[in-house]
Amino acid sequence: MKTIEIVVSPDGTTRIETRGFSGASCQDASRFLEQALGRTTAEQRTAEFHQAVVPQALDQRQTT
Amino acid sequence: MSHIVTIQTEVRDRAAVFAACDRLQLPAPVQGTARLFSTEATGVLVQLPRWRYPLVCQTDTGKLAYDNYRGRWGEQQHLDRFLQAYAVEKTRSEARKQGHDVVEQALNDGSIKLTVQVGGAA
Repeated sequence: MKTIEIVVSPDGTTRIETRGFSGASCQDASRFLEQALGRTTAEQRTAEFHQAVVPQALDQRQTT
Repeated sequence: MSHIVTIQTEVRDRAAVFAACDRLQLPAPVQGTARLFSTEATGVLVQLPRWRYPLVCQTDTGKLAYDNYRGRWGEQQHLDRFLQAYAVEKTRSEARKQGHDVVEQALNDGSIKLTVQVGGAA
């Protein structure tokens, strides 16, 4: 499941975490919130960010 | 997780300011010019509890103008609560515009967690 978690601390600082995304699609998903809420002060990419998005391919096994 | 971003909240949305005031049961904000101790500032005026001068939200720049004399003319916690409420209401509004549902949860440390499900399997 793809989710965006937003944690707003008691002083109004916001932390946005995307979960369940692969590759750079997470940035696209949360961009609308990042731009709407204010100024980015820190960014961290996790292991999933660097996973390539594998396009779905047709099964083309050949039998001999 | 895929990506983590920290945001410094900037107050740019009048509707979210109104929603935050409603959420905190503050008086409805008004557009105007307020006199602070030694200056004037124009924007959306928010009267925080027991603050001598109003908080001025300059939504065109995202900046806040206020004078609480380091807490003597108004407690910082009220400003913090307003900023938190603004960020929550702004998040809810933006998520709704995208057609997403939002689930809100209060955390033990006083933070508020919002979960937006964007659909599709991971």
